[in-house]
Amino acid sequence: MEKSGFRWGYAIFVLFFLALIGFIAVGFISLFAGVDVEDLNGNVAMIPIEGIIVGTDDSDLLFESAAASPDIIELIEKADENPNIKAIIFEINSPGGSAVASEEIANAVKKVNKTTVAWIREAGASGAYWIASSADHVVANRVSITGSIGVIASYLEFPGFLDRYNLTYRRLVSGKYKDIGSPLKEMTPEEEEIFQKNLDLIRDYFAGEVAKNRNMSKKDIDKVANGLFYLGVQAKELGLVDELGGKDEAIAYIENKEKIKAEVVEYKTDKGLLELLGDVSSRQSFFVGKGIGSSLFGSSALKIST
Amino acid sequence: MKRLDLPKERQFIGPALVWKRIAAFLIDMMILNLIVLFPFRKLFQSMLPKEYSFSEAYNSFAGTMSASYISWISFAMSVLAILYFFMLERKMSQTIGKRLMRLYVAGDKGKLKAWQLLARNIAFIPIFPFILLWVLDPLFMVFSKTNQRLSEILSKTRVVEKYSLD
Repeated sequence: MEKSGFRWGYAIFVLFFLALIGFIAVGFISLFAGVDVEDLNGNVAMIPIEGIIVGTDDSDLLFESAAASPDIIELIEKADENPNIKAIIFEINSPGGSAVASEEIANAVKKVNKTTVAWIREAGASGAYWIASSADHVVANRVSITGSIGVIASYLEFPGFLDRYNLTYRRLVSGKYKDIGSPLKEMTPEEEEIFQKNLDLIRDYFAGEVAKNRNMSKKDIDKVANGLFYLGVQAKELGLVDELGGKDEAIAYIENKEKIKAEVVEYKTDKGLLELLGDVSSRQSFFVGKGIGSSLFGSSALKIST
Repeated sequence: MKRLDLPKERQFIGPALVWKRIAAFLIDMMILNLIVLFPFRKLFQSMLPKEYSFSEAYNSFAGTMSASYISWISFAMSVLAILYFFMLERKMSQTIGKRLMRLYVAGDKGKLKAWQLLARNIAFIPIFPFILLWVLDPLFMVFSKTNQRLSEILSKTRVVEKYSLD
């Protein structure tokens, strides 16, 4: 048995030394895990949908903000599963994007078993409006840009450019339409007709979904689903928006409907340090690989966006 | 006849009483919770939403990233608890709780070695098979003649106190 005697000074030093290590450990865990622990309590989830709507997190938009549908859907499901969360506000600031990704998010919004409110800020156009229309209530600023119900697939064609530099597009296809939409050749009237038919189909589906979400007749939706954008105040008159306002109006709607005092908590995909570092290196590798791939197997530039 | 010059008080060292050991442990836990583990409290409170039942919390966390964060937090907390006992028992053979209850840690064979001090506190690690010690340790302490926990038997250490004979 040790007989050195008890030294209170040493004991107090140990306690505070370990507490300091504790603080550092908590800091590291939060940093590496990407947990914003201060914000996890609350009864109203706020999910931002910002930037171009894309289908994958590793899109080409290195320097632009993008709303990746898998991330947004994960946040929606998380908020829906949390029994503390009584309602969800979608803070929308997006010009639209991929038709598929927009529909995926819109479907996820519709599946939510809680009150949902779309709050359109600067812009909630095209695919972003599709998502907004899926919510129970749509709030927009009077000068927000919204609507733009339509589909776009325009692209640049380069055959003249190739001719000028004496380059030849050697067409090697098995299947008449395999290189439809290739920017290296001129689109034939027949191909254009096929394209237009498909775009019209997507537009009809898009408009049909909005009509269903907003309880609008076919006649009413056809009047507005022409690709034109509307200011918030116009959208309200056309029935595309329920209320003019901002965050306060969105919260007031929820408080009134759910009879709660709203405590808003932001749900967002915070990335930890490791994830960010991994992301940067994987993006660099991706672009190097993509550059090599594109030069070898250049593909069609065609993209269909809402 | 010449009188024997015996000391007025005689002391010997024996196994610590169970109630004293429990009291010392509770004091240590309280201190750990108040000071050392204080930074983790906010983290845990924020991660476990309000009004959650155990099953709801389990379902919410099962298979999510939060579950792995909580594992890391638990692991960090257990390391700090082990360090608390290790640093104090290594230097002074006592923790604050043991000091207040006048208990000591002793090795079966002389001076305490670092591995012995780590081994006797291994039950703090919240990983199988160490969590079995949460049940086995108290059972051994109550039913063994020397009041030793299983991890104390394995680490060849014991908690003792001084007894006086007047």
